[in-house]
Amino acid sequence: MTKKYTLDELLIIAVAREIHDYDNVILGIGLPTTAGALAKALHAPQANLMMEAGMIDFEPVIPPNHIADVMACKGYACATDLFTAFTMTYRGFVDICFLGVGQIDKFGNLNTTSIGDYYKPDLRLPGSGGAADFISYSKRTILTMRGGEFVEELEYFTSPGYLGGGNERDRSGLFPQGSGPAKLITQKGIFEFDPVTKEIVLASIHPRISVKDVQKDVPWELKISETLAETKPPSDAEINFIRDFAPAAAMGRALASEIGFANLIKELEARGKIQ
Amino acid sequence: MSKPIEKVMSAPDAVKRFVNDGDHLIIGNYTVGTCMELVFEIIRQGKKGFTLYSQSGILDVELLVAAGAVERLVATYVLRSGGRNGGSAVERALQDGSLQIEDYTNYNYNARLMAGMHGFSFMQVFEGIMVTDLFKKRSFMGEDKYRVIKCPYTGKDVVTVPAANPDVCIVHVQRADKFGNAQYWGAIGSVPAAALASKRIIITCEEIVDTEIIRSSPHHTIIPAFRADAVIEVPWGAHPTEVVGHYNQDKLMWGLFIMAAAGGKRLQAWMDEWVFNCQDRQAYIDHYVERFGSGRLQKLVAKPLYSAPANYGSAFHSTWDANGKDRGTGLTMEEIENLLEERGLLHD
Repeated sequence: MTKKYTLDELLIIAVAREIHDYDNVILGIGLPTTAGALAKALHAPQANLMMEAGMIDFEPVIPPNHIADVMACKGYACATDLFTAFTMTYRGFVDICFLGVGQIDKFGNLNTTSIGDYYKPDLRLPGSGGAADFISYSKRTILTMRGGEFVEELEYFTSPGYLGGGNERDRSGLFPQGSGPAKLITQKGIFEFDPVTKEIVLASIHPRISVKDVQKDVPWELKISETLAETKPPSDAEINFIRDFAPAAAMGRALASEIGFANLIKELEARGKIQ
Repeated sequence: MSKPIEKVMSAPDAVKRFVNDGDHLIIGNYTVGTCMELVFEIIRQGKKGFTLYSQSGILDVELLVAAGAVERLVATYVLRSGGRNGGSAVERALQDGSLQIEDYTNYNYNARLMAGMHGFSFMQVFEGIMVTDLFKKRSFMGEDKYRVIKCPYTGKDVVTVPAANPDVCIVHVQRADKFGNAQYWGAIGSVPAAALASKRIIITCEEIVDTEIIRSSPHHTIIPAFRADAVIEVPWGAHPTEVVGHYNQDKLMWGLFIMAAAGGKRLQAWMDEWVFNCQDRQAYIDHYVERFGSGRLQKLVAKPLYSAPANYGSAFHSTWDANGKDRGTGLTMEEIENLLEERGLLHD
């Protein structure tokens, strides 16, 4: 009997397992940084962790606040600039990167920019940041989704997946052959892309989640892999690492900020600084 | 026009002299160490009409937009506070039509600065962008957001972005000397490119140091003095963002700001308290200490973690050896002068 885990932990662990030893890895903001630290500690000690702000081969000792947080590590091997971080991706030196999802369509194309009319949006999301360039030129891209949605049609096309499906991405001549999103990992399961049609396929389902639970988030009839598996549950070592390295990541964003804020208020009240 | 040699002045003077209404204004910092005091001072002086460039705009962009100072925004990433039910000053300004935005990717944005910094008229960007709405949906830049040309060597389509040369860059760094040699280290991001692409550069720093310190570590200098217009020593000048080697991000103030940004009135109240009611950074820090105690600030102070010194040593620092002979010819000064005379090379 292994330890009980949270869905945030399961997601981070599934992401970490995508990082192989000796990979050159670009880590994005949020859970990938914890996943990167986990991979390096447990199964990929020679992975080279990098961030688009220009840090190469860094080893975070605490969870970074953002993609330019050099104070989360005790030094790093090379301080280059953002321009170079992207041109080295374009040249094919990046094995794997991770992107968060706002909206995703059937072929892994992404919107992280806006909902509604782009010029007068109902919701203005953060934007591309590094996403569109990384998913274009990294050899593999792993997508993660918490709070995003599956849609028939993106309201803004920020980052290219497999375009209209089939071999359209490779045929366009705009991207390295064979690149594109490899997996989408959510709190319910792990999705892959059909090798021929490039349509998203449910490949693995987390313990105690049903296919129906997954289908209800998807507005089309979701393809299910013939070899649908159950996601391997996290090991104690993986769970322990996350809780030790990033307890807030184990708790998830909502709970961690609720408790973190309550803690601040308590401290300030104790000091008589607020009423 | 050459710039004065010594450039130390106050933040209000620097903003008065070098920031004009309607300027193309660029935030030099990327995600960390944001030049908050200069942003505050620009807002206090009521400057407006900017085309604002910010690569990772969170507090800086939100405050300038909320202050009504920005007409056009060139960005790659903006704040969204509080998820679906939250919002941001940028979102509200887009919705009410007072702001136009031009979205680029991080690389595309930086490429515009790299072109500007080096004096080129455009920079090549990655062709994959052509399938996206970043390429297809254009705002105030219209046709000039991206243009496609033929590569003269490969014959392939090449996507380009135009150079950006903002009128003025505001940037915070760890240290500078009084002449404007500015040193920055940590996440390099697009900081040097943003500064050097710009026509005028206003620098705030945690400390002004002797030029000797700068000269012993030139690899940290991102802005040479001849490009700088103003230098202002502003300790805690980037708070509540962090400055490597000086202080960590202040999660309390950051949290208060993020919560405020979700709603227009709350953000205005935050700005009244922290921008308008504090005449300068010292007043802001005093107010912070009064509100939350000096202990909270002290907890953020960085413990030193020094970079190993780089050895700039040399076998000798004089042309003349210990015997007073030139190392190349083996001659003394007297011998050299005699030789020149002998060979008829000296003239009256």
